[in-house]
Amino acid sequence: MAVLNITYQGQSADYDLEIDYQASDADIRRIAVEVVRAGDVRGLRVASLADDAFAHFVVDRLRGPAGEPRIYLRPKVPFGA
Amino acid sequence: MARIVFCGVGALGSTAVHYCRNLGAELRVVDFDRVESKNLAAQWFVKQSVGKNKAEAVRLQLGNFYGVKAEALGVRLAAGNVAQLLDGCDLAVDCFDNHDSRVVLSEAARPRALPLVHAALAADGSFGLVRWDERFAPDREDAPGQATCEGGEHLPVIGVVGTALARAIQDFLRGGARHDYLISLSGVTRTS
Repeated sequence: MAVLNITYQGQSADYDLEIDYQASDADIRRIAVEVVRAGDVRGLRVASLADDAFAHFVVDRLRGPAGEPRIYLRPKVPFGA
Repeated sequence: MARIVFCGVGALGSTAVHYCRNLGAELRVVDFDRVESKNLAAQWFVKQSVGKNKAEAVRLQLGNFYGVKAEALGVRLAAGNVAQLLDGCDLAVDCFDNHDSRVVLSEAARPRALPLVHAALAADGSFGLVRWDERFAPDREDAPGQATCEGGEHLPVIGVVGTALARAIQDFLRGGARHDYLISLSGVTRTS
């Protein structure tokens, strides 16, 4: 179990993920498309979300402030300037 | 007194360093680039700084506006000079705009056990991260030299990422905390 945080088009929201923390990046992206399409992520519902919407997103596996496992699916952040 | 080195003072770096002006730390600023008119829309520079080296412009603005002294090093950070640029510093701040410079900085900081915090922004300006080096992996730009945010359309988010970075620096200097932040249009979330 882990919390999946999805950031898409500037909006960020959590989803309780009922799969293994070490699930593959491809699985994380596929699940994210499904739950966002379905409206299961509060504040992030895009019914027409493309299958490859998260193809170029980054998957981070980190511990939250309380040590809990969290997975972040996010756009790339190459810039500082 | 702690010494902080800001590596890259474009949009995020120039914003963050101004919000660190009252920390009581010595500020060192590294950037080889020059201020262009288009930078005024998204970076913390004023019209009088156009044409100046960015590190020198930050030094002048901190001194002229706030009476805060800073050290300006107008060079490009690279493997050959990074040791000299980091020398004597207690904290490094990465606001570079490219993957390769971030890697050079991380690879120099880690063997020195020099605390390093990164700030990074998505190309569309809708999302940013503040992350300490132990949890950070730099993302590559989609194309070398890819520009972002030059028109200033993302200035509000740049401001929030820059101030979140300044907060992370402040927390570290006061108590050693290494907090990460995720910044989206939804708000700022502490993630570690």
